[in-house]
Amino acid sequence: MWSFILRRLLYNIPVYLGIILLVMVLLRVRNPVYAYLGKNADAKQIEEFEKSFGLKDPFIVQYGRFLWNGIQLDFGESWKYKGTTVREKLLGAIPPSLSITVPALVLTSLLSITVGLLSAFNRGRLLDRLLVIAAVLGMSISFLVYIIFGQFFGAALPRNVFGEDWPLAIVGYGDWYRLSSVDIFGLTIPVPDAMTWVKFCLLPVLISVVVAMGYDTRFYRAVMVEECNRDYIITARAKGATKSKIMFVHMLKNAMIPIITRIMTTLPFLITGSILLEMYFNIPGMGRTLITAITDMDYPMIQGFTAVIALLYILSIILTDVLYALVDPRVRLS
Amino acid sequence: MRRLLKSRGARKFTRNRLAMAALGIIAVYFLTALWVLLGGISMEATRQRVAPKQVPGFLETRTLEERVAFAMHYIDEVDQAVRLASRRDQDAYEILADKALAERRAAKMSTDEYNELLDEAFAVLEDELEGVEDLSHHPELEPRVERLEEIAAALYPVPQGWEGVKYRLRTFLGSDAAGQSISVRAVYSVKVAFQIGLITSVISVIIGSLLGAAAAFFGGWIDHVITWIFSTLSSIPYLVLLSVLIVVFFGTIFDNPERPFLSLVPVYVAFCSTFWIGPCRVIRGETMKIKELEYVQAATAIGFSRLYILVRHVIPNTAHLMFINFSLLFIGAIKSEVILSFLGLGVKGQPSWGIMIRDAKDEVITYFFWQIGAATVLMFVLVLAFNILTDALQDAFDPRHVD
Repeated sequence: MWSFILRRLLYNIPVYLGIILLVMVLLRVRNPVYAYLGKNADAKQIEEFEKSFGLKDPFIVQYGRFLWNGIQLDFGESWKYKGTTVREKLLGAIPPSLSITVPALVLTSLLSITVGLLSAFNRGRLLDRLLVIAAVLGMSISFLVYIIFGQFFGAALPRNVFGEDWPLAIVGYGDWYRLSSVDIFGLTIPVPDAMTWVKFCLLPVLISVVVAMGYDTRFYRAVMVEECNRDYIITARAKGATKSKIMFVHMLKNAMIPIITRIMTTLPFLITGSILLEMYFNIPGMGRTLITAITDMDYPMIQGFTAVIALLYILSIILTDVLYALVDPRVRLS
Repeated sequence: MRRLLKSRGARKFTRNRLAMAALGIIAVYFLTALWVLLGGISMEATRQRVAPKQVPGFLETRTLEERVAFAMHYIDEVDQAVRLASRRDQDAYEILADKALAERRAAKMSTDEYNELLDEAFAVLEDELEGVEDLSHHPELEPRVERLEEIAAALYPVPQGWEGVKYRLRTFLGSDAAGQSISVRAVYSVKVAFQIGLITSVISVIIGSLLGAAAAFFGGWIDHVITWIFSTLSSIPYLVLLSVLIVVFFGTIFDNPERPFLSLVPVYVAFCSTFWIGPCRVIRGETMKIKELEYVQAATAIGFSRLYILVRHVIPNTAHLMFINFSLLFIGAIKSEVILSFLGLGVKGQPSWGIMIRDAKDEVITYFFWQIGAATVLMFVLVLAFNILTDALQDAFDPRHVD
């Protein structure tokens, strides 16, 4: 087992180095100095700037330095928000993202597994057909349209009808979290309280559940249909087990492997957050911070954020593989 | 290819009526795109003002207030022109000639005739309609509103004949915030969608399947390098990678809204560099299976070269996966375009469904649904057709597939 984990870890080191390399190279295709100082910077300014950020050094030196500092979790200072380190920005952006993605993932998984199970068990009947059609129709609409209409029916319209008392806000604002804070690793991290969460996060969560339902239901249905045809289901039926027992005990247990894999692969997106939702509702999470950093050409921010996100992504992939190997010993041999 | 068309899967696919209907819809869209590309709708037509801003579809002005506002828009246009003409000592019609709203042009009259109609209109407005709190409670005022509309129609006559048909086509889905025709823009966007969808998915499928087949077939370091590249690319969140790739082009000639064809190049590059991963993975897996099969061994035993076997025997047998992936990527491209356009990184200088949906986001709160509706419905039908097509292809050629 341990050799398997070690093998997976070693295999992913070049991938991780590749990610950092790719991002750093892409960011240096155009001279970062002009992105920071503007086109009209004079030669002296440019020189000073390049020296202070070490941009004059050969690329390999910059690459090594970034990795070395990265291991110590030091990604430098943001260019846009002077005086703020990338690490502070990073830690500050995680709670807003998590406060949307975690409830969204839990709700989506519970709902879509149940619906998938129901659909698979009634395979070919009216309910199943309706659900399948609904899933395909739902998948054909753009995410952005869901968000716009979600905002309209969830906040704008009820606010017009019921007045300002309606609990959901039209958009999240920059100060959306009341500062009830938690201390982690000596850092104070703001966390939203319940009422602010409902006001600014509930609507994005619901939208994201509706969007993800189409894809997830189809996947879980396919998994369950596959399980339905197995011999052990027929045996259980022959022995006279009740329908619900077969569904929730026998089938669900055996379908756990693909379910876990599916959920595990979405874990890194918990941290990244839903970029589109965060951009639309002005939620200061990871996705929004990163995309604005990209359009602002805030190089240390982009590098730091992608380094951390990619690390989390790779770790969760390795974790999935390990879990898989634990459940299914055949995997370890290949 | 011929083998694929004669296979059992192909027969199963052509017997699927729903899939055939989907193919028909896609064909209609494709022909529309072709027609636009060949000059059916020019770029100027998408920018031209055809009506006052945010007119609902079918020029449907339901309440009396809306009818007054709509008529007054044309009357005000003439009023301004007449005032400007008197200041510049010019003929009012000359000024109005430039203010045509597509096919709907001002009637040719002398300045006095204009003034006569204007005076009457303002008299109706000021004496009878202005100051009335809620027009919907005063149905007796409807004849006066109708009179106002008659004056507007006299000043700006609705064109007759072929011109009239064109005018109605342009205005039947209403106008956006800049008074541009929603129907023209939505149909023009079909071309943009196909441009992005076809170019990126064809290139990605070709690159992906060649690399995937080569990786699995040759193995060794080629496999390692290709796996490394796609693992690396897929470990960066998809939208982040797209944005970084597009930002690289900022400030170059590809970042100019005045040249819409060039400004799509960053989108192509970004999509192609991420989209090839999907087909590459799938076809690599399939090739792993195929290369152990008897016919490949037989070909090796006969003495064909490795490259010949790859091109003649392995790649053709993955063709069904290429079609499935093409269909998937097409959907991906259209949907991603919307998101990129919302972030301001997508289409520039020409309309697209993404641009229209983005522009519509503030209109929806003010209960104006025509723009988002037009873009969404057109996009929905196309994406739905491709979704059905993908499912049918998968059913026919790859039935054991999950997800």
